[in-house]
Amino acid sequence: MSVVWTQVALAGLWGGLVALERKAFLQAMLSRPLVAATIMGLLLGDVPSGLSVGLLLELFFLGTANLGAALPENDTLAATGTSAAAATLTTATGAGSTPAIWSLAVLLFIGLGRVGRRGDRLLEGYTARLARVALASAEAGNLTRAVRQNLWGMWPHFVLYGCLTSLCALAGFFVEPLLQALPPPVVRGLAWAWPAMASVSASLAAQGSHARRAPLYAALGAAAVTVAVVLLLLQEHR
Amino acid sequence: MSAPDLPLPPWVLVRVFLRSLFLQASWNPKGMQNLGLAYSVFPALEHLYPDRAAREEAVRRHLVFFNTHPYVAAAIVGGVVNHEVRIARGEETPDKVVAFKAALMGPLAALGDGFFWLSLKPAVGAVSAAMVPLLGVWAVPLFLVLYNLVHVLLRVRLYWLGLSLGDRLVEAVARANLPSRGAKLRAVAATSAGGLAAWLSVSFGTNAGGVRAPLLAAGCLALGVASYVLVSRRVPNYVVLYLAAGLACAAGAFL
Repeated sequence: MSVVWTQVALAGLWGGLVALERKAFLQAMLSRPLVAATIMGLLLGDVPSGLSVGLLLELFFLGTANLGAALPENDTLAATGTSAAAATLTTATGAGSTPAIWSLAVLLFIGLGRVGRRGDRLLEGYTARLARVALASAEAGNLTRAVRQNLWGMWPHFVLYGCLTSLCALAGFFVEPLLQALPPPVVRGLAWAWPAMASVSASLAAQGSHARRAPLYAALGAAAVTVAVVLLLLQEHR
Repeated sequence: MSAPDLPLPPWVLVRVFLRSLFLQASWNPKGMQNLGLAYSVFPALEHLYPDRAAREEAVRRHLVFFNTHPYVAAAIVGGVVNHEVRIARGEETPDKVVAFKAALMGPLAALGDGFFWLSLKPAVGAVSAAMVPLLGVWAVPLFLVLYNLVHVLLRVRLYWLGLSLGDRLVEAVARANLPSRGAKLRAVAATSAGGLAAWLSVSFGTNAGGVRAPLLAAGCLALGVASYVLVSRRVPNYVVLYLAAGLACAAGAFL
């Protein structure tokens, strides 16, 4: 097993940048799982892993929202960490990206959403201190220093989440022997787990859509797609 | 709408808007977005109050508690600049701008949360995810374009409304009718998610099943329906996901 350090560094850089975009700056949704994970895959040379992990996590975290002072799970860290691990795991195996790799990465790293929420809570202590410094500076008449405290709140997010994402990328290389040691039926089972988890996540997304008649709309969507696909398949068989 | 009658050069107004993009850079539990608001309006205050004492007083009144939705905050930032211009001209007292912020931040937060976080984001996310089987990686730019077309345009427009209308921006925001648009977007999100769940199940059955294809597809779809019911009954999402993965793993290993 050889670690590709450029992959680890790139993962950390992208993980840190989207951690900033998630709350501190702009919020143009670069930090959403579908986007962040796919771009992670692109950077690490494994777009299929990024896209597949991003699709699943986008659906899984679709209903979460940052409302008021409540802290939701950090879907961005879950997406960047999981996709980085999936991409480096693919690199380590030397074969192509497979559903078994995506499933394993999701099962091992999806809990990062909760880790990220703890991290966010921890960093609030630092920003509270910045607020106190800003007030003291304004009282002392140093207005430029007071307002600039706002920008100092960003670097800990970049560093903390960048490092965590790098660690996930690194972990991907170390998980590879575990994947190789699994018996073939279990690997086949993991491959089956991906569509099952994605389908379950899509159902969770329908539930998290906050629509008043979500079950009705979801059933209509499911029925329309099923009928369309079945008709298409029947036409192909003729 | 006519251009606002403000004694501020355009570059100052642009700087204030760009700085408002950092509104939550130092979000803190006590003052929440207070540092971000003071940081955003500071270029305007520097221009409006050449007198140091008056400027200090102006900055201090924006370092108090402030919290609203980060996009809709653009309207309040614009409105604060509008009020500060009138305060600097001596046309109103400083308590007006404090009252303006206090009156609007709650309702606008509810409006922004309801429309952007609970409607537009899930709808665009679900539609883009549903497009992945058709568009592949191009679903990602689709996500960004669809979302930011609405987000950036509304953010700029709300800032402009705040600048030009001040207190009267409430009527203009009400006319946008965001809550009813939000309800339609949520329906789109649910429909897209349901459609994608079905597509994933059917394509899984077709790819993995052979003669058992209909059975596997139906089983996968049933798993989706069961997970919907379980989560509705407050079973944690993680438990449902791991349960589904475990079942699928077992099926894949033994069937």
